[in-house]
Amino acid sequence: MPSLAKVVLPTGILMAALAVLPMFSSGYHVSFTIQVFMWIALAGSWNIISGLTGYVSFGHVAFFGVGAYTSALLITKAGWHWLPAGLAGCGPAALLALLIGYPCLRLKGPYFAIAMLGLNEVVRALVSYFEGLTGGGSGISLPPINATVPVYYAMGATALAVVVTTYLIINSRFGLRLISIREDEIAAETMGIDTARMKLYAFLISAAFPGIVGGFYAWYASHIEPMGVFPLITTITMIIMCLFGGAGTVLGPVIGATLLSIMQELVWARFLFVHQAIFGALIIGVVLLMPRGILGVARQYFRLPRTV
Amino acid sequence: MVHITGTMVLQVVVSGLLVGGLYALVALGLSLVFGVMRVINIAHGTFLMLGAYVTYWLFALAGLNPFLSILISVPVLFVVGALIQRLFVFRVVNAPELSSLLLTFGISILLANLAMLAWTSDYRSVEFLTGSFIVKNIAISKPRSIAFALALAITAIAFLFLHRTKIGKAIRATSQNREVAEVCGINVRRIDLITFGLGAALAGAGGSLVSVMFAVYPEMGQVYVFKSFLVIVLGGAGNYPGAFFGGLLLGVIEGLSSLFLTAQLTEVVSYVLLVALLLLRPQGLLGGRT
Amino acid sequence: MLPIVRIAPILLTAAFALAATSARAEDIRIGASISLTGTYAKPGTYTQEGYLLCEKEINDKGGLLGRKVKFVVYDDKSEPPTAIKLYEKLITEDKVELVMGPYSSPVTNAASTVSEKYKKLMVASLAATTSIWERGYKYLFMTISPAEVYLEGMIEIAAKNGLKTVAVLNEDTLFSKAAANGTIDLAKKHGMQVVFHEAYPKGTTDFTPILIKIKSLNPDVIAAGSYFDDSVAITRQMKELDVNPKMYGVTVGGDLPEFYKLLDKTAEYVYGSSQWEDHLPYPGAKEFLASYRAMWKHEPSYHAAAAYGSCQVFAEAIRKANSLDSDKLREVLLNLKTTTAFGDYAVDARGFQTAHKMVVHQWQNGKKVTVWPDNLADGKPKFPTPPWNSR
Repeated sequence: MPSLAKVVLPTGILMAALAVLPMFSSGYHVSFTIQVFMWIALAGSWNIISGLTGYVSFGHVAFFGVGAYTSALLITKAGWHWLPAGLAGCGPAALLALLIGYPCLRLKGPYFAIAMLGLNEVVRALVSYFEGLTGGGSGISLPPINATVPVYYAMGATALAVVVTTYLIINSRFGLRLISIREDEIAAETMGIDTARMKLYAFLISAAFPGIVGGFYAWYASHIEPMGVFPLITTITMIIMCLFGGAGTVLGPVIGATLLSIMQELVWARFLFVHQAIFGALIIGVVLLMPRGILGVARQYFRLPRTV
Repeated sequence: MVHITGTMVLQVVVSGLLVGGLYALVALGLSLVFGVMRVINIAHGTFLMLGAYVTYWLFALAGLNPFLSILISVPVLFVVGALIQRLFVFRVVNAPELSSLLLTFGISILLANLAMLAWTSDYRSVEFLTGSFIVKNIAISKPRSIAFALALAITAIAFLFLHRTKIGKAIRATSQNREVAEVCGINVRRIDLITFGLGAALAGAGGSLVSVMFAVYPEMGQVYVFKSFLVIVLGGAGNYPGAFFGGLLLGVIEGLSSLFLTAQLTEVVSYVLLVALLLLRPQGLLGGRT
Repeated sequence: MLPIVRIAPILLTAAFALAATSARAEDIRIGASISLTGTYAKPGTYTQEGYLLCEKEINDKGGLLGRKVKFVVYDDKSEPPTAIKLYEKLITEDKVELVMGPYSSPVTNAASTVSEKYKKLMVASLAATTSIWERGYKYLFMTISPAEVYLEGMIEIAAKNGLKTVAVLNEDTLFSKAAANGTIDLAKKHGMQVVFHEAYPKGTTDFTPILIKIKSLNPDVIAAGSYFDDSVAITRQMKELDVNPKMYGVTVGGDLPEFYKLLDKTAEYVYGSSQWEDHLPYPGAKEFLASYRAMWKHEPSYHAAAAYGSCQVFAEAIRKANSLDSDKLREVLLNLKTTTAFGDYAVDARGFQTAHKMVVHQWQNGKKVTVWPDNLADGKPKFPTPPWNSR
């Protein structure tokens, strides 16, 4: 076991550095870090359902989009402050997760993945259809934001909350039950675990956070539209960030999201026309060469606790 | 206000059936691959796109009849499919489904973007045949009806291949029970290779046929992946003839929901149908290995 | 000890250090994000070419306020959130003195939130959606005609010929929807009846059900708020389903040479609209065409002309204001009335474009003939469009 000081100290320094970053850096750094926070929260919440139970949520961006629309509507139509409006994004996101998860989590393996694969498209179509409320394809314009720093802290807190939640889950009986579902669901059932209920709980938690992230995103982006907040590629990015760092771990999504965001910013941006192809190749590489991610590789060389 | 008449319904049903034949052909390839290897091939739509480009370039550069070019797109895509199986996909055949889903997704992003680099993202079309036959007020599109007939023919050939040839029988046996097939002396690695090639070839044939109806561009294949799942689920497959009727049914359902509701809700109807069928008839899905 | 925790701050710092770029201090740097990849790659590239041609011409003539100008351009991948980040970078990190708009309404919508926040004046060269100017922004100026008037000319021709009924279909996205709604308002204003309106999702390829509904109503005019691929598909399927309006027009895509190349004779009689054509008699248009061809070795699109023209308007404003200060430039741009190679410029108090004119053209014998407005037209509309079976 690593000593407390060895973990707490650098973590504390990192947190303190991130907390004061906006005071010493430009708007661009703040924007970039907001994006990293956003991806940490998204990859981390995907990890809660899919990393832990093995049930692949291919429609996770739907919860993000629903959260974005919830907060945009609360801000523009009900006059809410952006902070409670963003937080409120978790409600409808969790509700959607309940609606879709209650029946679909009964589906085994690939069928759950197929069912989830269409979810974002359907929610997008519904959002477009009810244009009286949502503005349809034109989307919703929010008032311009005059300060990004509050969003920075809100998004950072959300990312932190996801990481802490994951840590707590992994170190609880609940977490062990989820992992037992991933390893062998039938055996888990035989041991008396109410797998349907466990999966549903995990799914709800996993969907609520993207709702909040989406909620803050809507405020940050000042304008949302169906095509912009429901793209499949967002789900894929969450998944690949999580896998790259190490699925089913606490820090995997953090590492994956941070590294890939930095790579995206520094390296891929210089290869204008091939960056998407690089992304495709990266997915192939991660799946084939390091399916357990960076932490999985690190585990071969260092002794890391299970709860990292 | 639009009053929907019997003729309009009939027109939509006819158009839906014609497009549905194509869905069936494309879904058959996906269904084969899933049945044999339990791999959900997201790159299936990309193979369709490549098939469409084969036809487009042969038409644009050599003036080749797009329907004839199927004879080229099928073997080309077979080779592409087999190569991709040999290089990548065989590694994830027994892995959790996330691996195969992501891997094939990665392949599809990579191939679509390579296509974009090579041929730009411009929309292209094969303007070979336009207009329609009018039968009793019902317009039957010329390119669509020929594409339908060819899709039917190719599907029939595929059935014959699966039922009458030794390799075809081995494919079906592997799909029914991989372990038993292996015990019986079937080289399942080789069957995987052939099946994946065949799946890609069927998608390629579909692409050739799509190119005479709709625009050709690098991301054209995406929509067909989800449609194919739906077809397979509708057909209650494993059951390859089921996939065929599933295709026709999907074409009609799409048309009718757009006619009676609006185009925007077509996807919602399809999705609700998919989830409902998955829940109510899970046993009917994709061949019996549960 | 977790190595990753230790190196993360270092990586972050390195990331930021590397991201900063340097440039010669004496140049006036103008920042812009442009869609060089992604959905809008093609028009985005034209936009960039227009800007760069403008930069070259300004510098050839001695620059602005005695300094050379230099565009700093990044690729926003056609994604609004990326544009937000890039304008933050341009303004706070690269410290550009001026900014210009990106390509497309969604991206401009997002990017302008940043420029407004930092009180940087943005001349939005290629955003046509009215709602962007209904947010009360002070420092955002529009240079092209709004989506709502794309089919104004067609509706006017229809009304002049006594047509009564209109059917409208549109892709359900920001621009197309605005274009369709604008067309509906214009039709009503001309006393015509809108008998059908339906939106379809982006990516639709089969228009049979919609076209059948339209056919059953037999409208005089069919107006499509569409992009290139759907314009082609709708036209082709109208022929297959034997839908015969007296006039049929599309908003975008109908102006591209590829439209006729793909559809061939099927494209005959189709109306389309454009922000700009290379034969229009605007001052400097001939010179623009010549130098554009010389610099880029191909023909310009209206996007290139719009970017070039907007940049010229901006330059003129800077000369008049004799300053780079946003508030001074704003005063000048609000009152400026001018004409560039791209056409007229004048805005209302919102910064919303009021002077620039759309042109409507019709495909006649394989040629795109401008048929509206009269003072810019080089031909007469062939009216009515004959039914498919008698062509």
